[in-house]
Amino acid sequence: MGSLWLACSQEPNTGEDPEVTTRGSVEVTAQLVEIRGEFVNRADYDYAFVMKYKVLEVHRGKVDSDFIYVAHYNPEKPRDRVADERVSDVGGTLQKFHAGDIHRMALETPIDDYFMGGIINRYFEEYKGPIYWAVWTNPVSK
Amino acid sequence: MKPEKRKQLFLIGIFLAILLAEGVTHTTMDLMKNQRPVAADLFLQVPSQENLRNYEENLEEGSWLVQNLRPVMQVLRFAVLGDLGKKAVAGREGWLFYDLGIQYLTERSQPVRPGESTPDEVVEAIVSFRDRLAERGIHLLVVPAPGKASVYPEMLTARALNLDHPVNVRTLQLLEQLENEAIELVNLFDLYQSEKNKDSISGPNNLYLIQDTHWSPKGMEMAAEKVANRLQELGWVEKGNTDYGLKEVPLSRHGDVIRMTQIPGIDDWYEPETIQASQVVRKESGEIYADDPHSEILVLGDSFLRIYEHDEPGSGGFVAHLARDLGKPLTSIINDGGASTLVRQELYRKPEMLAGKKVVIWEFVERDIRFGTEGWQDVPLPDANQEI
Repeated sequence: MGSLWLACSQEPNTGEDPEVTTRGSVEVTAQLVEIRGEFVNRADYDYAFVMKYKVLEVHRGKVDSDFIYVAHYNPEKPRDRVADERVSDVGGTLQKFHAGDIHRMALETPIDDYFMGGIINRYFEEYKGPIYWAVWTNPVSK
Repeated sequence: MKPEKRKQLFLIGIFLAILLAEGVTHTTMDLMKNQRPVAADLFLQVPSQENLRNYEENLEEGSWLVQNLRPVMQVLRFAVLGDLGKKAVAGREGWLFYDLGIQYLTERSQPVRPGESTPDEVVEAIVSFRDRLAERGIHLLVVPAPGKASVYPEMLTARALNLDHPVNVRTLQLLEQLENEAIELVNLFDLYQSEKNKDSISGPNNLYLIQDTHWSPKGMEMAAEKVANRLQELGWVEKGNTDYGLKEVPLSRHGDVIRMTQIPGIDDWYEPETIQASQVVRKESGEIYADDPHSEILVLGDSFLRIYEHDEPGSGGFVAHLARDLGKPLTSIINDGGASTLVRQELYRKPEMLAGKKVVIWEFVERDIRFGTEGWQDVPLPDANQEI
């Protein structure tokens, strides 16, 4: 109950911080609509996983669609511990991805210019447009 | 208060403190990160099966105590019991194996988990890719890279020392199926077996690295030479006139199996493996090998192509050595762990990579036959009009 009280008494979190507002060429607040299927749980495998978002607000850059597809690096890891030797320029304060949650993200596109590696895209058959690369991801209060 | 009662209250207090410690530290850590405490989820979400399971996972994964105790326990288990964890298996004489490669050889033939593939699905995907390429006048050469445990089962267990039959019967059956479908392939299993017969079981001429899942420079160079010879036998490629030479580069590295254990400080327990690699360089200029996007040959594959090529020393892996053997530069798409489907999806996103191609070489590691990431999907080729 104490946790509930603390949660309710917190200031609403807009996700804004000096990283998300300066990194990447696009910055949005968007709702995670769907995480399709399970993440890959393999020790030998670093990968990016594509998730579907509904754009709520564009803070910087240009986004042409109400829905965007964003690839997150090694999504099972908290964002503040996801950067590694291979991909050093990613991060954020989000701890875990949940469908329905709102994120403020700094993005780049096209993904192939920023990430060389396995991209798990379960929308491959139905969506052929650009995939955004998530550089920074912070949670936003609903 | 009676001493007995005081003792009981003390024990109750300790018990409650243990129960509350996790919740209090977790909530404190969440608040310090300016996040909603995970415990609030219990009250803010509908108590459905899915939400409760998510809550439990969040509690465990986000736990400060778990995150800080787990590495200590891993080190203790390794130091006391030699336990490398779930992902790695210690073989004989310091050889390390990747658990998934062993699972591929030892588990029953039918896939047991979602996402695993059957041999028929593999054959269908390869045949479809071959046919799609053929419609554009492009040949396909398939190169399954043997798993380390298939080539060196005796370094995994002494019980395999005197085996009189191969351990990877399913793979050999798949190769037969592919041949029945008139798929052109290079059989590295036979090549490595005959090479092993010439040599002692384990020594400086190993075809695989001792601490790593991948082939050694020698195993890789043999594979490149065999593929080059096959391409010329088939008449698909003529030898070019680019003169490449080799520059020897000694390496000292810890293998990927050690990294996979995620045991803190494990590097200190193992001597790095010493490897003699060689970079491919242009003889006339000394320039190190670089891909040419206009090449008529495209190589697709996984980390077996990455090692020595993108990793140190660079330009010393399968692609560079194949280019040297063919006397011409190649184009390549290397997708770590993604040779079954992801590398073809990447090709779909990069139509220019297929422009002007006459041959596609497709390498994938043996265990991907069953465990290929995202299975073996039928992936279309990029639109021919977008290739230029």
